[in-house]
Amino acid sequence: MKIKERRRDGIAILDISGNLMGGPDADAFNEVLRTLMHEGVRNFIVNLEKVRWVNSTGLGILISGYTTVKRAGGELKLLKITKRIENIFIVSKLSTVFHAFEDENEALRSFA
Amino acid sequence: MTSRIELKLPSQMAYLGIPDAVLMEIGSDLDCPREIIEELGTAVIEACTNAMEHGNGLDSAQAVELHIDVNRDRIVVAVLDHGRGFDYANWQPASDILRERGRGILIMREFTDQLDYDRTPDGRFRVRLVKRLARAE
Repeated sequence: MKIKERRRDGIAILDISGNLMGGPDADAFNEVLRTLMHEGVRNFIVNLEKVRWVNSTGLGILISGYTTVKRAGGELKLLKITKRIENIFIVSKLSTVFHAFEDENEALRSFA
Repeated sequence: MTSRIELKLPSQMAYLGIPDAVLMEIGSDLDCPREIIEELGTAVIEACTNAMEHGNGLDSAQAVELHIDVNRDRIVVAVLDHGRGFDYANWQPASDILRERGRGILIMREFTDQLDYDRTPDGRFRVRLVKRLARAE
């Protein structure tokens, strides 16, 4: 997994590529979140467009990030989930927890 | 006629993509919707995650073995590890939707047509995932 970070309107956008599967990925993702939250960022968009697959431990990474950000008074939303990953969110009922968007501008506006 | 493909993976998460890539390659030659192969791939990734982590304790010296049997109407994947195994039949998911773990068996059940498990004569734990190549009418 690789993470590229960029910012728009004070919101951190994390462009993830590769596979999201726990282990070292969890440490890398948490470290990025921690660093950005330490800098005062509260709202996050995680872009999954270039993620091939997610396993259950990868879902755990996103859930951990979601609850960490929520506890700090922010929000973590998802962008461009592929059909394959969307199906995993549906069967695990996580589609009822995460807000997901197809369009980046729409995702940014949702924080207003 | 059944064609069998066998894989042996070190118990490291970094190798989880290999069976998925093999299944995608197999699927590209079959006359079935890509989504069916993706669902099987997702379930097999979960089975391998369990086998590597809980079965073999992420000990890279212990291999997770896969037997992929490709038939005309279905693919059967057996995943073998050296652990104590899970009681797949009686497992129930926890109700806390924000739990960080414990969805692997749910995903395997949802994305396969049949899921069973046993122990091989040499003592390894074996999970079998069956996926039909056509949607049920």
